[in-house]
Amino acid sequence: MRLVTLIAVLAMAGGCGGHDNPPVVATNVVVTAPAAGMPMAAGYLQISNHSGAAVRITRVSSPEYGSVEMHETIVEDGIARMRAIPVLEIADGETIIFERGGKHLMLMQPVGKPGTVTLNFYSDDVLLLSVSTEFTAAME
Amino acid sequence: MQSRNIIIALVLGIAIAAGFALSLRDAREPVVSLTATVLPAGNELPDFALFDQYGAAAGRSVFEGQWDVVFFGFTNCPDICPATMTVLGQARRELDARGQNPLPRIVLVSVDPERDTPEAMARYVAYFGDDNLGLTGELAEVRKLTDALGVFFQKAGADGEVYGVDHSTVVLVIDPEGRLKALFSAPHEVANLVHDLPLIMAGEQ
Repeated sequence: MRLVTLIAVLAMAGGCGGHDNPPVVATNVVVTAPAAGMPMAAGYLQISNHSGAAVRITRVSSPEYGSVEMHETIVEDGIARMRAIPVLEIADGETIIFERGGKHLMLMQPVGKPGTVTLNFYSDDVLLLSVSTEFTAAME
Repeated sequence: MQSRNIIIALVLGIAIAAGFALSLRDAREPVVSLTATVLPAGNELPDFALFDQYGAAAGRSVFEGQWDVVFFGFTNCPDICPATMTVLGQARRELDARGQNPLPRIVLVSVDPERDTPEAMARYVAYFGDDNLGLTGELAEVRKLTDALGVFFQKAGADGEVYGVDHSTVVLVIDPEGRLKALFSAPHEVANLVHDLPLIMAGEQ
């Protein structure tokens, strides 16, 4: 499994003690354009919470994009609906998977040319996790 | 008289045994099951006036002359549309590698014609493979096609430039006479398309 977590910060009371590994970890991070030349990109990853307590992700930002939103594609009765996820709750010990056809990050308003993309996950104003990956031009 | 009855009984017995044997053989015949739902007669498409990705007028006749695999989506769709187009592109390449002839054409009909100009469609459909067709145009003309095909779409979360479009995930197969011949429901898998499309195109289903 490709581990691309660079920094994992958890500033929660009692959340860090006794852990050898970062309390909130992102793996298999991919940021990709749906098609060449498209202004938006999609982000996929797995986020695992080993903090000893539930965490809430309320905001995601990236220096490379003006706007990053957590979305979920829901297919019901043959209809695909995309809905925003205002708050992502991750229980202690839980791994949330962002994958095609399900939860995903929608990155809009790119700043400059895509290269390394950094994603910052916040719980209110507290930075929980910062992860970087190379932008992938192709979705396949 | 008795011997005649014996002969009749023998003939009947042989017939029953033969029928039983045939039924056993039929039961052992592999059943070709498809993921797709096939419409034996095929449904005619309505008239519509859209544009292809080069800006050329495209009506019902654009679906005549080749097999088409049609998806309804939009270029600003970050997730399910590119995922589906990727599957369709991979299936077409796999069919090509297996010597399928003719190959079906992949068609994307925009359910977001407000933003999907022919130029945007050109960049988008070309990304997923050669010979793909993109259709866009006036919303009312798109509706003519989608309503007749039972394809749903609706703008969602309208907020200036940033909005999504809820839409059907179905993939339709249109025959060279321009008739709806089959449909695939999501989730779409390359293996299902590669298995079913040659059978549908050969008229074996």
